[in-house]
Amino acid sequence: MSASPLISLRGIAKRFGAHQALHGIDLDVEAGSVVVLIGPSGSGKSTLIRCINGLVRPDEGTLHIAGSPVDIHHERAWQQMRTEVGMVFQDYALFPHLTVLRNMTITPERRRGVPRAKAEEEARALLTRVGLAHKAQDYPSALSGGQQQRVAIVRALAMRPKAILFDEPTSALDPETIGSVLDVMKDLAREGTTMVVVTHEMGFAREVADRVVFMAEGRIVEEAPPGAFFDAPRHERTRAFLSSIRSFGEAAHA
Amino acid sequence: MEFDVAYLNAQWPALMRGLWLTVQVSALSIVLSILVGVLGAAARVLQVPVLGKLVVGYVEFIRNTPLLAQLFFIFYGLPGLGLRLSLFWSGVLCLTVWAGAYQIENVRGGLETVGKGLREAAFSLGLSPWRFFRLVAAPMAIRVGLPSMLNTSISLLKNSSYLQAIGLAELTYVAIDRISMDFRTIEMFAAICVIYLLLVLTLSFFASRLEYRLNAPFRL
Ligand SMILES: Nc1ncnc2c1ncn2[C@@H]1O[C@H](COP(=O)(O)OP(=O)(O)O)[C@@H](O)[C@H]1O
Ligand SMILES: [Mg+2]
Repeated sequence: MSASPLISLRGIAKRFGAHQALHGIDLDVEAGSVVVLIGPSGSGKSTLIRCINGLVRPDEGTLHIAGSPVDIHHERAWQQMRTEVGMVFQDYALFPHLTVLRNMTITPERRRGVPRAKAEEEARALLTRVGLAHKAQDYPSALSGGQQQRVAIVRALAMRPKAILFDEPTSALDPETIGSVLDVMKDLAREGTTMVVVTHEMGFAREVADRVVFMAEGRIVEEAPPGAFFDAPRHERTRAFLSSIRSFGEAAHA
Repeated sequence: MEFDVAYLNAQWPALMRGLWLTVQVSALSIVLSILVGVLGAAARVLQVPVLGKLVVGYVEFIRNTPLLAQLFFIFYGLPGLGLRLSLFWSGVLCLTVWAGAYQIENVRGGLETVGKGLREAAFSLGLSPWRFFRLVAAPMAIRVGLPSMLNTSISLLKNSSYLQAIGLAELTYVAIDRISMDFRTIEMFAAICVIYLLLVLTLSFFASRLEYRLNAPFRL
């Protein structure tokens, strides 16, 4: 008997007006595993990942975090569970009026009741880990995109979440700085952080993912460990997508 | 009749007493009206049930009625409704209620520049909508809205002269009172205009200092 998955979705559906963005999604994420979510633009990846922490409220379905059900129709329940599931966005979304250090300490202080001095000590330790200890007192505008995204990651970590969701964390970055962010994410994976990652970085998916999930038109088409997924995709739709991004990648590197 | 400096010298203590009252009433009302502005804007953008709608009605009412009518309503009307306030507090209430409506719109304007992304980031860290407002949105909105908040505050300061109509002995009241006895119209109005001008310049100076400090995070 295995323990229940850390994140478990059943029949999650979401409609925007006339458009059905998600059709009854089932997804399990085991504790300590990395799930990479890929698919064409508009296939519902962001909507799905946002349904996991309630930034988008699912219309139907059930969500369990660490075995406990989340009451998807109550904002309070989401607020509570969001302290347990962190999220990193494409545009970093650091609070621009606060220093890097304050960005990291404000929610542990206000939400987890950690004393200021302790929160700062923890924040500095996290910044050191991502090579940004010297930026603690700077404002976000003084940091490069890659540096801001690394701060956003450790800001999420400072809440000590059970899992972290990433929505295209490197899509807004210059090519030179993408590597520094992916390295931090690889480190987290090695330490056993549970992660759900929407990305177009296929190298990252192959190297780090325990499972790759391919979505199209609001449905999960195929999911498999990266080796099987990339080398022997079963569905025509998956093959078409993979060949399209491969040719794009080759064009980009040509 | 020539401009009589000696006359003004003799009236100086009375003018200073009036000035002091003007400063007290205005400073208190500016602070309170900004508080009204922040809370009212919060009720609107956080879509607090009932209160949000009341705020809309309040802003429309204040913006579309004359200040003097509002002042008389507060001073002569409220006692009839069982609320008896001193002259001073009637004045503070009137200016606060009047400027508060404009400050709500100023803060709301600033809030529009706070993107959806920051809201989602705050929520995904577990902050409640109210905490997001207090810790992130309001400080950012105040920075952006500061110039228009200063304009409203300057208007408030100048409009404090309306309070002479209910008999509060602020700067304008003192001037009119003296004129009715001594008929030194030019000297008195020249004097109080210069004093108001200096007050506004002082207020602007402090606002620009504040703006400079609030902008520190955005200077490279
Ligand atoms: N807030 C929204 N309102 C209306 N439509 C939306 C909203 N969010 C997403 N959609 C639509 O849902 C579909 C899935 O979007 P999204 O989850 O962002 O896809 P992806 O992240 O895979 O590119 C798209 O057709 C998109 O236009
Ligand atoms: Mg997306």
